[in-house]
Amino acid sequence: MIHLPILKAADRKWETDPSQAPTHDLKDEIFQLEKEGEWIVQRVPEPYFEVKTKYGRIKKIPLEKTWHHKSCGQCGHIPGYSTSIFWLNRQFGLDYHDPTNQTSCTAWNYYASATSNPEAQAAVAIRNFASAYKTGYFPLIHCGTSFGHYKEVRHALVHQPELRRKVKKIMDRLGLPFVIPEEIVHYSEWVYAMRDRIAERQVIDMSHIVATVHPACHYHKLIEEDAIYSEEIYGAQRTAIVTGTLQALGVQVKDYSTWFDCCGFGFRHILVSRDFSRSFAVQRKIEVMKEEANPDVVVTHDTGCVTTLDQSQFAAKAHGKKVGVPVMSDSQMAALAMGAHPYKVLQLHWHNTNNKPFLEKLGIDWKKKWDEFEAECEKIRRGEKAYLTWEDADA
Amino acid sequence: MEFALDLSANKYADVPYEEKERLFKEMKSDERWPHVLYGCYECGICVASCPSARFYDFSPRIIAQAAAREDVDLLYTLMNDSVWDCSQCFSCDRCPRGNSPGQIITVMREVAVRNGLQSAKEALEGYGRIIYKIMSTGTQVSPDMLQPNAFPDWGGHVNEISEHLEVWRKALPPETLHTTETGWKVDEKTLIELYLIWHMTGVMDMIEQIDEGLYMILVDVMEERLEDAGYDVTFD
Amino acid sequence: MTTQTVAIIGGGPAGIEAAKGVAELGFKAILIEKRDRLGGTPDEQKYAALTPDLRDTQTALREMIAPIENHPNVEIMYNTLITDAEGSLGDFTLKGVQLGKEVEIKAGAVIIATGFQHFDPGRETQKYGYYEFDDVITLTDAEKMLSEGKFVRPSNGEVPKRVCFIQCVGSRDRRLGNEYCSKVCCGISSKQSIEIKKLIPDCKVFIFYIDMRMYGYWENEIYWKAQEEYKVNYIKGIATEIVRKGDKLLVKGEDTTFRRPMEVEMDVVILAVGMEPSEGTKEMARIFGLKQNKYGFIETIGGPLDTVSTNVPGVFAAGACTGPADLEDSVSAGGLAAVKAMAALRKLEAVTA
Repeated sequence: MIHLPILKAADRKWETDPSQAPTHDLKDEIFQLEKEGEWIVQRVPEPYFEVKTKYGRIKKIPLEKTWHHKSCGQCGHIPGYSTSIFWLNRQFGLDYHDPTNQTSCTAWNYYASATSNPEAQAAVAIRNFASAYKTGYFPLIHCGTSFGHYKEVRHALVHQPELRRKVKKIMDRLGLPFVIPEEIVHYSEWVYAMRDRIAERQVIDMSHIVATVHPACHYHKLIEEDAIYSEEIYGAQRTAIVTGTLQALGVQVKDYSTWFDCCGFGFRHILVSRDFSRSFAVQRKIEVMKEEANPDVVVTHDTGCVTTLDQSQFAAKAHGKKVGVPVMSDSQMAALAMGAHPYKVLQLHWHNTNNKPFLEKLGIDWKKKWDEFEAECEKIRRGEKAYLTWEDADA
Repeated sequence: MEFALDLSANKYADVPYEEKERLFKEMKSDERWPHVLYGCYECGICVASCPSARFYDFSPRIIAQAAAREDVDLLYTLMNDSVWDCSQCFSCDRCPRGNSPGQIITVMREVAVRNGLQSAKEALEGYGRIIYKIMSTGTQVSPDMLQPNAFPDWGGHVNEISEHLEVWRKALPPETLHTTETGWKVDEKTLIELYLIWHMTGVMDMIEQIDEGLYMILVDVMEERLEDAGYDVTFD
Repeated sequence: MTTQTVAIIGGGPAGIEAAKGVAELGFKAILIEKRDRLGGTPDEQKYAALTPDLRDTQTALREMIAPIENHPNVEIMYNTLITDAEGSLGDFTLKGVQLGKEVEIKAGAVIIATGFQHFDPGRETQKYGYYEFDDVITLTDAEKMLSEGKFVRPSNGEVPKRVCFIQCVGSRDRRLGNEYCSKVCCGISSKQSIEIKKLIPDCKVFIFYIDMRMYGYWENEIYWKAQEEYKVNYIKGIATEIVRKGDKLLVKGEDTTFRRPMEVEMDVVILAVGMEPSEGTKEMARIFGLKQNKYGFIETIGGPLDTVSTNVPGVFAAGACTGPADLEDSVSAGGLAAVKAMAALRKLEAVTA
């Protein structure tokens, strides 16, 4: 027992105080603009959860009646990610809408190639929001970049009247209302808000599982005040997203020294300068995680992050790098915990790094599960059925 | 010390100062500029958190400092040799002055693209198919882009996927995902609205500057569909 | 009579000096202090040595307090909190609470000397982990250890081999809303680095800074001394993250001299936390109707030509309650406030006579 005239970290008490927030509450300005007739604000439907963001302000997370703003990379390359989000909603019997009247946020284009401009980006965002508004369902954003980008767009629209004027003109031409949602909600915030309910229905024990969390840059670094923080998780000094969810599932979340680092996705880089993404993902993230935490699984909450961390390990292995940890999203982990089929729902066959040892560790007979999935595929091949349905997924 | 990024005053000395100044004025007059650039006291927080700074000879601090100094020559060099290294993570938004070097770079890139700078064209070489996909279908990285020749470093796994693509896409419970050419099913009306947005915001003009061939293909596709939908719109 | 009485709220260096000035010039000083002893923040936070001359804090405070402790013109009210005030120049009535009992104080003029509090690193934008890691401490934590004559790693009590300071924590920051410079932290960090080197000569000490700000004689007395005599490493480039690596800390910053990101292991990291108005300062501003600047400090209305007058005639503010201040500033302002308070009362007497 050393005598210290000062407190150790565990005894240092921190309480977030919204009155000390250095920024104005953007919501005040959003509602003021509605009063002035500038736009319509789509309210978060009830019932909703209340979570705290970085400065202690309350954010509303809708339970249901959500309009699912899908992610390009998820739907294109790792469709189990989107499927697991829908599956979770269905398990709880929640009312949701999966639209075809939805475009990409096009942030990939904007960030990667700059072949766009703020006016186009804002118009694309508002067009999607208007589409949601017309269905009466509230937007729930699947991609971390869409989420961050829409926060950026919202900020610009609030503070730049000229931009608002330009976008209004476009919406008028398209015959669409100028709508902005009361909150911009990321699906992982919904999973976080639902975490205790998900844990109640957990059938796969994960208490012996060690995971590392990778928080998406665009979730918590873009417009950093609008991200979930909690005094119970990291003392509200780091975002609580994903970690909170995993802890509710009984997973041991271990820290590592490159927690804040970007995964290296880079948009343009992952497609045409891939040595950058690969090197970054492997040397700054996966190797460090393996060395310091030795996790069974890496869990993140964004399309690009799952893609980069998962796909980069193959080439690295050929160079003898210390890699080989499966990567998946928090929604896939949550679904798995609730007994979702690893192939019919999680669609793990689209992932690259070997996740079979992980499934084995959870006591899941992946061989049997694969055969079940293969049997469905065979039926599709033979023309016996057109698609694998939601009923098939749970059979 | 040797650096890969050449910041010497003689670089691009052949380009007239008026031209460099014109481009700088275009950056400075962007609506975003005063919100993303204040001053810079060279604290280095942006570099410390930047992934690209660890891989390339790239410094968001130098970019912000050059912008704060309004150093027209240096900004021209950076616009050509440096801005495409940024990976858009926005870790640099931690800047205590309130700058966003990432957004400064976004503005610089748009100026480079709008003015058809050769360096922008080169940076976006090989990126044309991606731009084509997003602009014309409203989704990015479709399933059919998972081809081995596109992602050789992802291993044999990609071969497996492309082999089974059609069946595996049908083996997805969500109905909107029963696609191979797009990420999800997009309504025709939605695409029309998207094309009208591109038209009204001048985005196609930007694409014309960096890849004329791509521009012409895209314009053809869009004009045809717009016409079918009853819109008399041309992209000239 | 109240026209010869000055109430001074706050028993730190500024308040003590003000009380001394008032008393020695023949007026009555009522020094009101919320704690049970005088000395203010240097005493409460157990400062070890003062900047720049490294004089022992308690010795210096003793020297300041001794003349007024038993002075016939000074009444010290300990354990007293002011809760309300009314009146005007020449006739103020202050209401307060002392150990549960209500008290009333009548004075002709008031000097607010309620000082500052240190920035709490929990609000910091950068990821410094003060609430996660034992070995990340603040300047005041370091002072407390140094005042006991030791400096150790809080995590395991061992003597550190590598210690660094990170400057400008909570200051010079638009994202936090504290755009100002807190004036004293560069000097204090340099002073502490000397104290640490004296205790642990083999310890490597680094200071990561944006600018090194030690004005006037602090430059040669502290900065050059630390760098030249004690070989403290000054590195231009501030840190953005502190994470754990094994049982050490990893500090991530940029070494701007070498134009590259840097990651260095440290045993202890000291955050140079800046100054903010104390709760008492904000309360007094509210009670007396004093104008505050956007940071909550009491605004003095004369710029550089008058560092103590507020918008309320008869109410003066001295020291760190008006903004970042070092000991010299506080003591000087305390003296000036005493002069101006008494002058105002004299003028009033002359008019009403």
